[in-house]
Amino acid sequence: MRSWGHPKDSGLMANPVPSACCVVLAAVVVVYAQRHSQQDSHIQYERVGADVTMKCGSMDWDAAVTWTANGTDIDESHLNGSYLILKNVDLSQSGQYSCYEGSSWHLKYQTYLRVGTPPKEPVLMCRSNNYPKGFYCSWHLPTPTYIPNSFNISVIHGTKDMVCEKDAIPKNRCHIRYLQLFSTVKYKVTLTVTNALGKNFTTLTFDEFAIVKPDPPESVVAKPVPNNPRRLEVSWQNPSSWPDPESFPLKFFLRYRPLILDQWQHVELSDGTSHTITDAYAGKEYIIQVAAKDNDIGTWSDWSVAVHATPWTEEPKHLTTEAQITETTSASTSSFMAPPTTKICDKGAVVGSGAMAVCWTAGLVVAAYSVLFI
Amino acid sequence: MAAAESPSAALRRRDLCSRGIRLAGKMRADVVDLLDAYVEQQGLDASASVAAMEGVPLAAVERWDEQTGTQRLLENLAAYRAFRTLLAQMLEEQREQLGEADAGLGRALAAVLLQVSAFAYHLEELLRLESRGIPGEEGDGPPPPPRLSLFEQKLRGLGVLRELAQWAVRSVRDLRQLGKPSSAAGTAPGLAESP
Repeated sequence: MRSWGHPKDSGLMANPVPSACCVVLAAVVVVYAQRHSQQDSHIQYERVGADVTMKCGSMDWDAAVTWTANGTDIDESHLNGSYLILKNVDLSQSGQYSCYEGSSWHLKYQTYLRVGTPPKEPVLMCRSNNYPKGFYCSWHLPTPTYIPNSFNISVIHGTKDMVCEKDAIPKNRCHIRYLQLFSTVKYKVTLTVTNALGKNFTTLTFDEFAIVKPDPPESVVAKPVPNNPRRLEVSWQNPSSWPDPESFPLKFFLRYRPLILDQWQHVELSDGTSHTITDAYAGKEYIIQVAAKDNDIGTWSDWSVAVHATPWTEEPKHLTTEAQITETTSASTSSFMAPPTTKICDKGAVVGSGAMAVCWTAGLVVAAYSVLFI
Repeated sequence: MAAAESPSAALRRRDLCSRGIRLAGKMRADVVDLLDAYVEQQGLDASASVAAMEGVPLAAVERWDEQTGTQRLLENLAAYRAFRTLLAQMLEEQREQLGEADAGLGRALAAVLLQVSAFAYHLEELLRLESRGIPGEEGDGPPPPPRLSLFEQKLRGLGVLRELAQWAVRSVRDLRQLGKPSSAAGTAPGLAESP
């Protein structure tokens, strides 16, 4: 070992242990750097099912070597001389492969094997939910490749190339501002996906109107109407993403049904953001949804979040309670009918004590018949 | 600076715009039906691209939201006058080609031609209301078509109907802008408020 300084002046010879430690530490750092510089620099991509042969750097075929996978020694049965042979690789064989010279354990070669697949045809969708500002395109792969992919999108309108600006979130989406409106010239969008094992692409061609699809209406609220056992008041708001509902008004489609039935009722509304359902079954909980569409072009939005509501019912009195119990025990889902008391009382506005007396009398009669025939 | 609009003029404008929107909406529905029938009868591919043809007014517009009311009215009027001439030419060609063999298509063309004429008149009414002079029609119409082959005539007809369908949508949007309470034809455009 070399002396690092004049023995009398530095005092190093008087302390050999610190200098030895420095040397050992330096050696460790060098070996670590050597290993990690090779580790970071080489990635090898192979297809699932491929046969992979790894050469141990510049070592001869007949050199004695040891291969490891993720730090674990690989059995010699996978070796052909100094070559590592992996047959019919699968995803679980991805990892770090290292080759060491037999006796010295010098690292001779290192690679990161990533097993994956070439990309299948990507799925591409374009939509304008903020007409007339622009549209967006989003994409995904139908099956994962298990290795990194890069996507490139091109948009052409006639002969003009347009820039699709990538969104930060989500990553697989970009948006385009319309430079023209009311054009008959179609847009052509091509998405190419590339990875180390191959590439694929898909193309969409569409016109400006065809992809217009608003987001669902927001803030859907359904409330009972006091003293109206067959009404529900529904209101909603335009989707916040629709930039100019005054100039580009939306129309709406409302659907509703009692929870106990499968069949929906539908109402199309050409203006306004509210509607009163007038034929609800008394006392039954309803599920209600709304969809939106530009008044003139495009397609219907998805349905809004469902809301639930039950029409107003009068505070139960003992007679009414019997009638409802009777109705509950005798009614079935397939042959459901509105209770006669509700129908009778619903005809016209019920005002004044005279009409109420008629209602109650009719209700009592029906309740009595129901009890007799159970 | 535009003079303030009288309440009666504003009401009349909104009424004309509302009626115009209904006219344009009906016209568009009929043009779309006619387009389907035309494609089928003429043996064309509905998805065929048709290059812009001379004399066919293009509905495509840049900076649509920045147009003034007057620009909207004048461009609409010029377009529908051109379509009036083009549809009349198509009707004539149709009769020459098919005679009475395709009376249904001929009737549908004639019906749309009538609606286009009515809409052009409606636009003139709106322009009169705005105290704008009605531009003359001399030299407004498309040039006489060059002698086209039968197939070229069919493609041109497809292009005409497609652009007319787009114009009908654009007209609805234009009239909606014009019909806004804050809007008068000559004033600065009301730019869409973005959320």
